[in-house]
Amino acid sequence: MRTRAEANRQRWAIAGVAIAVLLLSLVLQSAYFEQVLAEVLLWAVLSLGWNILCGYGGYSSFGHAVFWGLGAYTVGLAMIDLNLTPWVSIPFCAVVGAVAGALIGYPTFRLRGHYFGLAMLAYPLAMLPIFNWLGYQELALPMKRGEAAIAYMQFDDPRIYVVLALALMVGALAISLWVENSRFGMALTAIKQNEPAAEAAGIDTWKWKMLALMLSGAMSSVAGGLYAVLLLVLTPDTLFGILASAQALILALFGGVGSLWGPVIGAFVLVPLAEGLNAQLGNVLPGIQGVVYGVAIIAIILLAPEGVYWRVLDRLGRGKKPAPRGETVPAVPAAPVIALPHPREAAGGDLLVLKNVGIAFGGLRALDQIDLAVPEGSLYGIIGPNGAGKTTLFNVINGFLTPGSGSITFDGEAITGMRPSRVCRRGIGRTFQVVRSFSRMSVLENVIVGAYVGAPDDTAARNMALAALDRVGLSARADAIAGGLTTRELRLMELARALAPNPRLMLLDETLAGLGHDDLDGILGAIRQLRADGITVLIIEHTMQAMVNLVDHFTVLDHGRLIAGGKPHDVVRDPRVIEAYLGKKWVERVAATAN
Amino acid sequence: MTHNITRRSVTGGLATAIGALAAPAIVRAQAKSVKIAMIAPMSGPWARQGQLLKMGSDLAMADINDGGGIKSLGGAKLEIIYADAGDTTEKAKNAAQRLVSDQPDLVGGFGSWLSSFTLAVTEVTERASIPWLTLSYSDAITDRGFKFIFQTSPTAAQQAEKTLPTALDLAQSTTGKKPKTIGIIMDNTASPIAFAKPLKEGGGLDKLGLKLIVDEIFTPPLSDATPLVSKVRSAKPDFLLLLTSAMPDCKLVLEKLDEFGLAHGKIPLVSNGAPFGSPELLKTVGADLLDGLLFSVANWPMKGQEKFIERFKKKTGEAFLTQDALCGYGHPQILAAALEAAGAPDKAKVADAIRKMNLTTGPAAQCFPGPIKFDDKGRRENVPIIFAQWQKGVPVTVFPTDLALAKPVWPSAA
Repeated sequence: MRTRAEANRQRWAIAGVAIAVLLLSLVLQSAYFEQVLAEVLLWAVLSLGWNILCGYGGYSSFGHAVFWGLGAYTVGLAMIDLNLTPWVSIPFCAVVGAVAGALIGYPTFRLRGHYFGLAMLAYPLAMLPIFNWLGYQELALPMKRGEAAIAYMQFDDPRIYVVLALALMVGALAISLWVENSRFGMALTAIKQNEPAAEAAGIDTWKWKMLALMLSGAMSSVAGGLYAVLLLVLTPDTLFGILASAQALILALFGGVGSLWGPVIGAFVLVPLAEGLNAQLGNVLPGIQGVVYGVAIIAIILLAPEGVYWRVLDRLGRGKKPAPRGETVPAVPAAPVIALPHPREAAGGDLLVLKNVGIAFGGLRALDQIDLAVPEGSLYGIIGPNGAGKTTLFNVINGFLTPGSGSITFDGEAITGMRPSRVCRRGIGRTFQVVRSFSRMSVLENVIVGAYVGAPDDTAARNMALAALDRVGLSARADAIAGGLTTRELRLMELARALAPNPRLMLLDETLAGLGHDDLDGILGAIRQLRADGITVLIIEHTMQAMVNLVDHFTVLDHGRLIAGGKPHDVVRDPRVIEAYLGKKWVERVAATAN
Repeated sequence: MTHNITRRSVTGGLATAIGALAAPAIVRAQAKSVKIAMIAPMSGPWARQGQLLKMGSDLAMADINDGGGIKSLGGAKLEIIYADAGDTTEKAKNAAQRLVSDQPDLVGGFGSWLSSFTLAVTEVTERASIPWLTLSYSDAITDRGFKFIFQTSPTAAQQAEKTLPTALDLAQSTTGKKPKTIGIIMDNTASPIAFAKPLKEGGGLDKLGLKLIVDEIFTPPLSDATPLVSKVRSAKPDFLLLLTSAMPDCKLVLEKLDEFGLAHGKIPLVSNGAPFGSPELLKTVGADLLDGLLFSVANWPMKGQEKFIERFKKKTGEAFLTQDALCGYGHPQILAAALEAAGAPDKAKVADAIRKMNLTTGPAAQCFPGPIKFDDKGRRENVPIIFAQWQKGVPVTVFPTDLALAKPVWPSAA
């Protein structure tokens, strides 16, 4: 999330670019250049639309032509069949694009990564035969003359098209800026960087992804609608073809994915370049224009793999991480967690209850008949050797996995099979065995993502995040980029993220793993403080030593079954536990020494 | 003043003498070249067709200028600007816009082969009032109420309407018998569907007294033609209408017909469109399988063009002359004739001259079947459809008889 001053600066930049384009269109004396300029602006809007989902959200789409083409055909068919002016149908394209986005997203978001991108490719390709079959292989917008021309967006002065396209681009930039600076953008960034972590932090990833695709589709369709007016002749090949899909992607890749200005830079460089090459070389050495274009793109990708925008920012030295906060915070205190002003009352009773929970992966019963009751206010440990099913147990509780049998209730409410973001909203936070950070966001932003669940608005989320950082003693590093933190700092940051929305139950997955002796003490202190604040803690560990001294109730998991439970010191003497950890020989030896 | 003189020089015989006297003045005033344009795909999937058009038009330009240029303009040379329509309508339209912006003195042009490109290009040329010629078939081109577009080919609908009656005439004139039954094998893409619809649903076949006894529609690509062709073998229609849009599908059907002993004219084969006479089809399918295939087409090398065909083959190294190169030659000739008649390098006057044109002789008229005369829509009136037939590896015009370069072969079904 950007600061207010930065957002203002971007607003001025948008205004500046708009004025520059207007001046350019006044200077250009040729209808041809005006037409190319209008095309540049529209391709920029398509690419900005693509950037919403794919740049911010990290879901690459190779099929944005589907929205572009649907928008164009909406305008074309509305004019031909309904005699509806583009002044009305172009805004309506936003609805078409959003609905198409919802219909496409519903089945396609079951896929992730490259599978999603490739599946998206199918939609525009499917449109090709459909529109051909419908008999729309060559749709010409009827020519209007005289008064009707303006009513139907057919101007003699090509500069008006530039102004209209510019209005769309300014709108698209404003929307992108708003997304960047809101919870929406933060959620998308979190999804891009680590979707499971975002879901576990309470972000309804499904909802945000759908919204992003709908917004993205709406923007692309509106641009396609105006493109239809500019082009006047619509063919499925031009609109739904692979070239249009690729264009959206290439412009953003070239300019800088996930940046406000990337798609604009891409459009202003590549579209005129391609057109100029076509004009200059197309009839001299046919085909050479494609070669030159390809070489130019390859060169840029080699020189600036993340896109021109980021490269330039790095050169100017502004892309570097911001300087640390003004106030000096002392080095990490030994027991960093500051007590909440009003610790929660431990109400007694069981907060989390698992009954007969089981799950199998193929033939492997990862969890089998698990019965577990975690009393409210307790610090409850689960240990077990590697592969015992501990993380699976957490995944079942927080909703990453749906148990094959049994039920899970939290504070009396059934949460079996609930999505992780919903579980998080009920007041269950979790950390991961291998820290899942949003590595390119700052520490504060990482924690803000977690705070959204419990915050009514963005300001509250920020304050809650700052408070959570304070509690774990990481305030000094608030502005550091997560990718540069030490293991201990990462653990604390993840703890703060889970802590930010003030959960009632914390699931800590091997929080102590991989820490040195000194670091261990800090974290242990932090965990104890959680309990002191009235938060129920369920912690998984495989090292017994640390746990024995930390928790007040202990359960041992082995081969997916709970084999013992009780006070820590009793449990470690249980023969079944010794067997699970050390083997049968040790059981006999312990028995011998006890006698 | 010079304008008046030159116009009279065309209209009146007497004025020709005055024109000749005034020639030195005209040369000084108008000997600068007159510009026309061709926009066609010269890169991308349709580059080959653009190149063929250009081959024809290069020859035409040489003929016009070597023959003394535009005489009514004092021998002004004709100059052609080539522009690449590329592979999308956007590129085609940009090319047109660029031409119009960069060349304000264009008096006419032609192109752009693919109907959708022609539609896009003429959106620009129409607004700039530049007379534009095209060989594209789509009815939409001349259905928009445009004033400056002239379509030299019969439209797709006209071709669909004329193909079968002409085929029946051809059969009757060759064998003395009229076919009674027909089989249709077609794919379900747009143009075969549009072609067949008036025949099947519009009662077109009934009107012709034809009984449809094989009706097979497939979705390309075809994997096996056996089921289609075995129906043809058992039903034995008097002839087969083959409407495929992809060469591999066409090849499969022809091979299967051969395998079933129905090829080489056992069952006469009729099709539609210039792609059925392309050198590429010859390369893919081979002369043997194609032999006897008849296809209707807007324009094909005709009687009277023999010398030109030889010259074209020698100059370009092409195996034979096709519709594209022929129209590439014919369109500049029409523009030259219009300029000659207009007597001024002025696009409005050239457009007027084309509207008033009624050419039956001369290099332009020789390039097209029927007189060069356009109606209000910009379509040519009373144009016969041409039938060409593959004979010994060359598709030659066989019908109508007065334009034919060879006799048609229509084997009577056994």
